[in-house]
Amino acid sequence: MSLNSKTLLALLAALCMSNSTLAQQANVDYVKQVKPVFVERCVACHGALKQEGGLRLDTVALAIQGGESGPALVPGEVDSSRLLQRISAKEESDRMPPEGEPLKPDQIAAIQNWIAQNATGPVDEKPDQDPRDHWAFKTPVRPVVPNLGSTTAEQERWNHNPVDRFIANEHRNRDLKPQPEADKRVWLRRVSLDLIGLPPTLAELDAFVADASLDAHDKIVTRLLDSPQYGERWGRHWMDVWRYSDWWGLGAEVRNSQKHIWHWRDWIVESLNADKGYDQMLREMLAADELYPNDLDRLRASGFLARQYFKFNRTSWLDETVEHTSKAMLGLTFNCAKCHDHKYDPIAHVDYYQMRAIFEPYQVRTDFLPGEVDPERDGLPRAFDCNLDSETFLHVRGDDRNPDKSRPMHPAVPAFLSNASWQIQPVALPPDAYLPSLRPFVAESYIKAAEKTIDAAKATLETARKKLVEVEAAARVAAEEAAANQLSLPVSNETSANPNATEAKGSKKSKAADKPLNSEQARLGVLIAEKALAAAMAQSLTIPARAAAEHARVQPPSTGNAASLAQEAVKLERIATVAKAEQAAAQAEMDVALAVDNKKEELEKKRTAALAAVETAKQSLQMPAENFTPLMGSLKTLESNLETEESRRKPFPHTSTGRRTALANWMTDPKHPLPARVAVNHIWMRHMGKPLVPTVFDFGLKGTPPTHPELLDWLAVELIEKGWSMKHLHRLIVTSQAYRMSSSNAGASVDNETRDPENRFYWRANPVRMEAQSLRDSLLHLAGELDLTLGGPSIPANDENSRRRSLYFVHSHNEHQKFLSMFDDASVLDCYRRAESIVPQQALALENSKLATAMGEKIAQRIAKTYPDATDTEFIRAAFLTVLSVEPTSQEQSLASESLTRLTVIAQQKNRENPTAHARTSLVLALLNHNDFVTIR
Amino acid sequence: MTNNRSNHVHVTSNGGIHRRAFLADMGMGFTGLALGAMLAQDGIVRADAEKLWLPPNGQPHFPPKAKSVVWLFMNGGVSHMESFDPKPELTKFGGKSIGETPYKDAQNPDKLKLARVTVVNDANGQQRNKLYPLQVGYKKYGEAGIELSDWVPHVGACVDDLSIIRSMWTTDDNHGAQTQFHSGRHMLDGEYPTLGAWVNYGLGSVNDNLPQFISMGNREYWNAKDGHYLGPAHDAIPIRVDPNNPLDFAKSASGISDEEQQLGFDLVGGLNRLKAVEYPKDAALAARIKAYELAFRMQTSVPEVLNLNSETKETEALYGLDDPATRDFGMQMLATRRFIERGVRFIQVQHGAGGAGVWDAHSGLKTNHEKNFKAVDKPIAGLLQDLKRRGLLDSTIVLFASEFGRTPGTQGSDGRDHHIYGFSVWMAGGGIKGGVVHGATDEIGFHAVENRHYVTDIHATILKQLGLDSRKLEVPGRKRLEIDHGMPIDEILV
Repeated sequence: MSLNSKTLLALLAALCMSNSTLAQQANVDYVKQVKPVFVERCVACHGALKQEGGLRLDTVALAIQGGESGPALVPGEVDSSRLLQRISAKEESDRMPPEGEPLKPDQIAAIQNWIAQNATGPVDEKPDQDPRDHWAFKTPVRPVVPNLGSTTAEQERWNHNPVDRFIANEHRNRDLKPQPEADKRVWLRRVSLDLIGLPPTLAELDAFVADASLDAHDKIVTRLLDSPQYGERWGRHWMDVWRYSDWWGLGAEVRNSQKHIWHWRDWIVESLNADKGYDQMLREMLAADELYPNDLDRLRASGFLARQYFKFNRTSWLDETVEHTSKAMLGLTFNCAKCHDHKYDPIAHVDYYQMRAIFEPYQVRTDFLPGEVDPERDGLPRAFDCNLDSETFLHVRGDDRNPDKSRPMHPAVPAFLSNASWQIQPVALPPDAYLPSLRPFVAESYIKAAEKTIDAAKATLETARKKLVEVEAAARVAAEEAAANQLSLPVSNETSANPNATEAKGSKKSKAADKPLNSEQARLGVLIAEKALAAAMAQSLTIPARAAAEHARVQPPSTGNAASLAQEAVKLERIATVAKAEQAAAQAEMDVALAVDNKKEELEKKRTAALAAVETAKQSLQMPAENFTPLMGSLKTLESNLETEESRRKPFPHTSTGRRTALANWMTDPKHPLPARVAVNHIWMRHMGKPLVPTVFDFGLKGTPPTHPELLDWLAVELIEKGWSMKHLHRLIVTSQAYRMSSSNAGASVDNETRDPENRFYWRANPVRMEAQSLRDSLLHLAGELDLTLGGPSIPANDENSRRRSLYFVHSHNEHQKFLSMFDDASVLDCYRRAESIVPQQALALENSKLATAMGEKIAQRIAKTYPDATDTEFIRAAFLTVLSVEPTSQEQSLASESLTRLTVIAQQKNRENPTAHARTSLVLALLNHNDFVTIR
Repeated sequence: MTNNRSNHVHVTSNGGIHRRAFLADMGMGFTGLALGAMLAQDGIVRADAEKLWLPPNGQPHFPPKAKSVVWLFMNGGVSHMESFDPKPELTKFGGKSIGETPYKDAQNPDKLKLARVTVVNDANGQQRNKLYPLQVGYKKYGEAGIELSDWVPHVGACVDDLSIIRSMWTTDDNHGAQTQFHSGRHMLDGEYPTLGAWVNYGLGSVNDNLPQFISMGNREYWNAKDGHYLGPAHDAIPIRVDPNNPLDFAKSASGISDEEQQLGFDLVGGLNRLKAVEYPKDAALAARIKAYELAFRMQTSVPEVLNLNSETKETEALYGLDDPATRDFGMQMLATRRFIERGVRFIQVQHGAGGAGVWDAHSGLKTNHEKNFKAVDKPIAGLLQDLKRRGLLDSTIVLFASEFGRTPGTQGSDGRDHHIYGFSVWMAGGGIKGGVVHGATDEIGFHAVENRHYVTDIHATILKQLGLDSRKLEVPGRKRLEIDHGMPIDEILV
């Protein structure tokens, strides 16, 4: 409803009436008409969270009690109620609320009438809870595991795993009867897809069905958790949460994320496979550069920060860093405090910028990796504190054009969140960290690269020499022929010994380079190649000298010979300069020799200059100096589109602020109430099909409370106390009875569906649609085509022939793998939970794509190979087991069999090469399109 | 962005999905499943909420004036002065700096504040001081006698059906404004659902055999998707005007016959129905059965729409199919009409692939705009006339827009830069008045000075005509700002 003439009239009429007439208006219902307005528009500043002017409006009593300027309202006294004056003030500066639209006329009228009618409210109205007392802001304490007491045999199986005892306790409290166990095969498919993202093979199914031992399930879980594919499967999950993105930009220019960010992806996969503690993973992602400044393996983790890079806007870059660090790791919507105090959580506007200040000094650089000295080709993108003194200011109303320079913000975290310690200790970095060229492999890499250059120069020289021999031989033949011809034919004395010379005269327009060389030019070619080789060799000699000089300069104890090593390095560099100058001079000579007439003069000038450069270079050999060129071991990414290449090469600071280490330590302190709970929730959701806290990135007051608060806390404490082992958590969950239940509603008591229609209390399992990546990987896996190579550079998104796992495709804001994007692939902007849409294009992709049809064919061939003489019935059974991991029912058998017969007839009519095989491929393709292929049952 | 982006389409099969929402989805173009029910199911809706929040049921909130939308978007930025808002003063003061003219106040820094710069010191998106004369003539068109440039003779002839809005403004002075025009949000805010996605989300299908939200032509700068937090089910489906290859995965890569494929689809449907006995009341399963049926029909129905053979020569000529200069866009316009006839709800057509869009005339404006207008003017006019004579224009809103206008001043020697302070769009059909000019820029086309409209006012106007209240479409946890909703431009409504 917007302002219309009727409500306006009503309001005007109301304003003209006396109090007594107002009181005669229809009764205003405080709870329905007034309180919602207060809640929506007032209590963020006048309530439990904040009490601007000492006033609270969360109960009638508090409103009457008022604040610093007296009661907000006086029951029955419209004229003396300040609240009414403020909400209806004409001047914007007087009017409440200060932000957003004024209250609507009908809202004001309702409040006015309500006051006139004595401002009554519910007798038992309670003030809102202090937000600092919110459950998620208190350190979790391990709850007592419920005792299920006397149980039936069926209930007894719920008595062993603490997860089950919490779940079963709620079943009992709510009188819900859990569904029976799923078929063993269904469980195996479920757990395989959940833990490694791939379905079981026929052999695995058979073995498991045959295994009657008590620990059959446990053995499977152990095998899956030990599989390297576990890290890939869960790596992709955490890549969603941590917003993994490959770089994108224009041409070679990086605008967002970083080149080679895949090193971070590999770190995630490897860390998960090694069961690195979740706390340790957070520490490394936030502060590996301070904690492990020379550990290149761990430095990969700071890809988390390198990924946030955004070339064009530092505020956007840091906004995203703050927003997603807090959403992913803390389950808090810090971003809501960018423009003003948070409306629900006790996060002040200032807190937002204090959080930003933690990240303010950081920038991104690419450290060289062994064997590569070209950061375009490979390197390690990583964070480091670059601008130690850069200040952070609060942006008034979140407007970056309006920083409040009077109040620099200090790095800090909100105190209410945790009594974990907050201490910032600057970190002195070892020399290798701020001078990465000191890392021993850097000089080696340069030497290797130089050796390659030398080898190439040698090969060029070889070719040049051969050429010279050929040219000279040809010249000799020509001279002899000319001599012979002279006997019979008179020719002009212009004829040169070189047969090409006349040809050249005849075609002056042809480009110089196109002409075959004469002997002199070929000799020059050899000279150039010799000089190039000499230059390459001289250059290579500088490398160890420069490395040694650099070491001597920075590494204590100063050896005293630093100066002489530096001089030596300079000397070698100058020798290399001379060699390069000579190479250039030889080239200039060649250019003159090949020049066409109108360019000759210009090129001769260049030759003179080149020769002069040689002389200059030679002269400098005599003057000792120490200003050698250090090797480059790392290249900083441009801080913005405004930075110059020159400042890009400024030296790296010798210390780091320690701010991010402080953040990491604070966050992973066992007393911190949030990170363990947030992580547990993410893991639970990906096994159980729904989260315990539905708002997975908002555990604040606006978030939804957990369905099982005690279970959540128990798991959080368990995670922490078991060394933050995620594999431990997976095992607990997937070995539970809750995880074994069938996802079917069939046979469920009517009461279950009445009492808990949404299955919030897990009386059955939740079926889940496979993520895009699992879907593609499963197709390849069943076809025996999946390439299980781990790690490495990302695969181009349009490479349709790749058989690698899907997490290795380039995935950025600009580039998506088409098949994956049909199935709700992760958004790189934020993806705390995948969508599970069901749209017809998905059907088309699975039915028609090259991938699906080709894999369908391969799967059919594999089955045929395993069961060469299979009847249709046998083939159908094998196909069901392969694709869906279940036996077909008799109805499914007959339906499939009927279709197979008809498909075979058509294939025969169409003279297909092998009608049976053709029809069977169609059957397999139909099963790949079955609901229960894309569904994890 | 403050809520779980994916709750809304999270499907767990169970019987608990609200019947109304579920049925709405089943019947309505299948735009992804039961958003609200999922939220409710996950407890997103707070326990103390008075009413359980439900997703849209596919019905308008109030009686609509229009059913469909054609959204014509010129990538790169069209010069408003040389199209729908001619400014003779530019020619009069051509070559003079703005400061030397009576209009120097245009550059008052206070008036320039609304720019929100994405790329600081970019080569483009700058103020250009030296006024650039009009590069084309203009004259009065229609009974309304509205002045338009000589580059739009065909659309000009339809001016009595158009409402021209000459007072648009936006804030992104770079091509992120494309995203902004569609979603109402600056690209630095992130990505938000576009208008087409909101319409797709709010209203169901009027045709079960065709996708309801279609996009043709290249999408450029940060404007590749629509659904964003509403979910990928609300992304436009890209369509190519090629009956043999109209959309991704429309044809089997294995080359099996239609007959075999029909059998395959039937088998999938049959097996899924059998599975439903074992897993009763499984909403996702039911939805997937429906999706396969629709997919199968789409395989036939989409190529059928794109097969233009049944059109008469006269119609082909009307759209300029007989001229290589207009043929490509003409085919898209003709296909648009065919989709509209079959009840497709929202069709986005982007003109101009390459760079940030072909209209981006930083240099050579005259050649550029002459060529581009030549390509689109006749086909667009053809669409307007064809819709009108078939009685479809009354229920179809046609919008012509670009992300911003171009600077009154010259860039280089013969170009114009991006201009956000005032530019033009037009709308027609669907209860929009004809022969109307609404709003105005100043004498040099710099600032919108009269009836100023931010881009979301266009959204609000379209939603109003479709019978939708954007506030009722809001998703819990995704609080929208006042400016996101915009205000309908009531003055141009019949």
